[in-house]
Amino acid sequence: MRRIAYLFLAAISLLGASGSRATAATRPHYGGTLRVMMQSAPDALTLPANATPADYWDLARTLSLVGDTLVSLDAQGRPQPTLAVAWQSDPSTRRWQLTLRRGVKFHDGSAASPAAVAQILGALHPAWNVRASADAISIETEPATPSLLAELALPRNLILKRNTNGIPIGTGLFLVADWQPAKLLKLAANEDSWEGRPFVDAVEIEFGKSLHDQAIALELDKTDLIEAAPQAATAPQGHGASSSLSLPVELLALVFSTNSKAQDPRVREALALAIDRKPIQSVLLKGAGEPAASILPNWMTGYSAVFSAQANLPRARVLLADLRQPALNTSYRLSYDPRDPQAQLIAERIALNAREVGIAVQVSLSGAEDIRLMRVVLPSPDPATSLGEAARQLGLPQSESSTPRSNSVDDLYQAERGLLAGYAVIPLFHLPVASAAGARVRGWTPGPLATWSDAGSPLSGIWLETRAEAGTR
Amino acid sequence: MSFRQKLLLLFAATVLLCVAVMSASVYSTIRRSFEQADQVRAQAVAAQFQSEFQRRGSEVARKVESVAASEAVQRIALDMNRGATDAGEYVGDAHTLAGQQQLDFLELVDSRGVILSSAQWQAKFGYPEAALPEGRLSEAKTPADVGMAGSFLKREELPNGATLGLFAVRVARVGEQPLYVIGGERLDQGFLSTLDIPAGTRVLLYQNLAAEWNPKTLLDLNGPAAGADKIAPLVAHARDTLQESQGVINWTSDSADAEVFHAIPLTGPNLNSASLNSATPISPNRQLLGVLLVGSSRRPLIELQRRILSTAMLVGGMGILAAVLASLWFAARVTRPVVSLAEAARRVAAGDLGAKVDVESSDELGELAASFNRMTEDLAQQKDRTLQSERVAAWRELARRLAHELKNPLFPLQVTVENLMRAKQKSPEMFEEVFHEGTATLLAEIDNLKTIVGRFSEFSKMPQPQRRPTHVNDVVRSVLRVFQAQLQEKNHIAVRTELADPLPEISADSDLLHRALQNLVLNAIDAMPQGGELTIRTAAIAHGVEVSVADTGSGLTPEECERLFTPYYTTKQHGTGLGLAIVQSVVSDHGGKISVASTPEKGTTFRIELPCDFSAHSASLR
Repeated sequence: MRRIAYLFLAAISLLGASGSRATAATRPHYGGTLRVMMQSAPDALTLPANATPADYWDLARTLSLVGDTLVSLDAQGRPQPTLAVAWQSDPSTRRWQLTLRRGVKFHDGSAASPAAVAQILGALHPAWNVRASADAISIETEPATPSLLAELALPRNLILKRNTNGIPIGTGLFLVADWQPAKLLKLAANEDSWEGRPFVDAVEIEFGKSLHDQAIALELDKTDLIEAAPQAATAPQGHGASSSLSLPVELLALVFSTNSKAQDPRVREALALAIDRKPIQSVLLKGAGEPAASILPNWMTGYSAVFSAQANLPRARVLLADLRQPALNTSYRLSYDPRDPQAQLIAERIALNAREVGIAVQVSLSGAEDIRLMRVVLPSPDPATSLGEAARQLGLPQSESSTPRSNSVDDLYQAERGLLAGYAVIPLFHLPVASAAGARVRGWTPGPLATWSDAGSPLSGIWLETRAEAGTR
Repeated sequence: MSFRQKLLLLFAATVLLCVAVMSASVYSTIRRSFEQADQVRAQAVAAQFQSEFQRRGSEVARKVESVAASEAVQRIALDMNRGATDAGEYVGDAHTLAGQQQLDFLELVDSRGVILSSAQWQAKFGYPEAALPEGRLSEAKTPADVGMAGSFLKREELPNGATLGLFAVRVARVGEQPLYVIGGERLDQGFLSTLDIPAGTRVLLYQNLAAEWNPKTLLDLNGPAAGADKIAPLVAHARDTLQESQGVINWTSDSADAEVFHAIPLTGPNLNSASLNSATPISPNRQLLGVLLVGSSRRPLIELQRRILSTAMLVGGMGILAAVLASLWFAARVTRPVVSLAEAARRVAAGDLGAKVDVESSDELGELAASFNRMTEDLAQQKDRTLQSERVAAWRELARRLAHELKNPLFPLQVTVENLMRAKQKSPEMFEEVFHEGTATLLAEIDNLKTIVGRFSEFSKMPQPQRRPTHVNDVVRSVLRVFQAQLQEKNHIAVRTELADPLPEISADSDLLHRALQNLVLNAIDAMPQGGELTIRTAAIAHGVEVSVADTGSGLTPEECERLFTPYYTTKQHGTGLGLAIVQSVVSDHGGKISVASTPEKGTTFRIELPCDFSAHSASLR
């Protein structure tokens, strides 16, 4: 991982040397192909419900180039108009009406009419009653859905049609020109985009590239936009190279499987108290992320400090002292995502911490797992929506007590307490998502929520510096 | 058991004992030799292990030295002295450096004893390194300053368990604060494979990583050793005592598959002592980290023992055979006079007093034989004298009997003749009448004399039996018919017959049998002058028939019974003493036996046993 970080820094250093000078000398212009690399290797351009964080971000970013949601949320969780320009709900928040933007067309030339949108949305949510009117759609839900707009802003609710080959047809800035599953996606600029034509003519996305390969490619100027490890993005930047670190939008946590041998809550609590998060954050995560004991990060709720993330070995030993011998003699198997380069070291460190208080944890990818170190996406700045999504990904049972009735602090806190009761999940860190762009990439203003743009459609403002421009300097 | 057999057994036992003693002696000597050889081999392997341990330790120390002198480590040491605290920078360095030097273990430890980077367990950063002694760390300039100059055995914790390693420590000192480099290599089957093991020997290594016995940490050249549980007691002994020990492990029921194992405890450094720099892994009074097990196959010893045993059995068998032959020859030589003596004694017992023993030796047996010969000669002379006396007595008895028998008729003859002479002289008128009476008396007495003479003549002229199939029951009935009239006259004698039917035929002379039975019946009638019961029985016996004649007369004394069949002996006032002698003669001529049983005042029973075919008996008698 350090090597990746060095490469990344080297790339930034090389590219930044020219990029900083170019900024003042050039103006945005059309043309060029933006080269992008991603870790995931999807076989289809769809966003699966159980996608890993890496796949989630890659596919969400990719599909958001092709399609638009009805609304989007800013960093404060406030809804912003996209395909929908106005919305309202009844007081019970069971019935919503969204007025659609007029004149929007899909890439195949068909109108993004309320009927077409209602059909797509109805297929995505069979439980909803979606109806179209002249210039609006109405959505009726049961039960009440106060966070409907946050839900509609999620990438899974992009308004996309599919052709016979499953290729998405949306209303976004780019349309699919070529698709080689798991390898390459070529996108062409949508001349008729309702947002206006993007500066770049095309985007080429290469899939299945490790972070290491991406860093090398960026260093060799073979790509323009890459993903990066958060710890690499925290390194000092300069020379015009740009990197982006989002707000913490992922949760790294330990999750006990339903058939885990560690069924006694005292063992789970002891393990939670044994984990010293600070060294993991400072050494293994290189300072990236925030130690966490709550599901939602502090920037969403403001109360995460209430959940103590401090290790307390004496308390853990006291808890274990009350256990019977069999529970103490049991070895718990801890698994992790092998694609996550940091996961193994973090898991081994947790096992080391656990051993200190007398809990035998064996890090292994084989056999039935008792505990899983997993990373989940907090996809929305809306706390209630992210909490529900996190609970779903973590496999936590959602009851009425663990579902917030609103985004009020009290409701969120109680819901989160409900989810964390029994230590079925031990939150460890809230992690940001990092990206980096080469020096020829201009106008890149990545958003704080791990999107490729902080406002409007992603990559809409990006333009590429040409070699000639670079050569004149 | 005969003397010869006893002699044979003695010879065999002696040979067997000699062979057994010899075999046991050889057995024991070979066993001791093998045990000494095992001991020497085990010591050689242990010495080789120690030598290899030191060589590998030196190699590890050299590699660790290279790591400590590397630019990367010097940079880290410099950072430490500058007060850098971001251990995250170095987390992967130990792994990279270990890979470059091909070390299995490598840790970079700061002056407080805290791990900065660990190759074997990267997540271990920030934890204290237990191998380094507390205190003295910040001032150390060389490993010797903390007592770790050489290489040593150490238990190393890994994410998936512990293992044993051969470690060395070096100090990278750029500024005030030393940076410790602790590197090592695994001590496992790979290490064992570098040892030059003699044929028939193998080496196992038990990694003493847990308080309890763990068979998975008993390693041979291929990994976890099979059948580890059988070695557990040996390892447990070494663990308990920290002393070398040895034991025999029987892998199968075949003792040739067994192995003798020498357990040699391997200890680590004693962190509480100043002798940390000792490179020897085999030392008492330290923490036990492993047990080296040197196993030697017992097959050569067992096979040699088996060969000795089979040879001993062969030699023993041949010895016993030779002993048998020798004893037979010797026994024959020794026992021949004794056998001759025994045979002569049997002949003497059978009545052959002319039996002699031919012994030429002059030893005790020769003297015994001479004594025996003298004894038989004396017995023969004694018998002749006895026979002569008996003959004289018999003749006297015969003369007495003849005189007695003849005297009775002679007296009437004399009186009658005198009466005739007196009548002739004194009353001739009555002479005629007296003459007639006298001549009648004379004739009667002369007949009487003839009868007496006839009986004697008859006894002397007993004919040989003329054999033919004979029914004994018919003979009995014939005899009873002869006496029918006489018995009817003497109606006070009751006759009872119990004749077995069927009764096998015998080959006999019916006339002689008739005569013998007739004598017995006549004796029985004479024995019951006052009346009684006469019982005649026949019965089938093995290979013959039995005839018994019983009376209820006054019976006989035992002395009378003994002399009853002696010729001319009689208990009757007018008997010749020849009747029962004739009966015995007839029975004997038919190959049979006659016996008498009598109880005074109760009666007498004569029992005759006659064979169906007496030819064989007769032949044997001839």
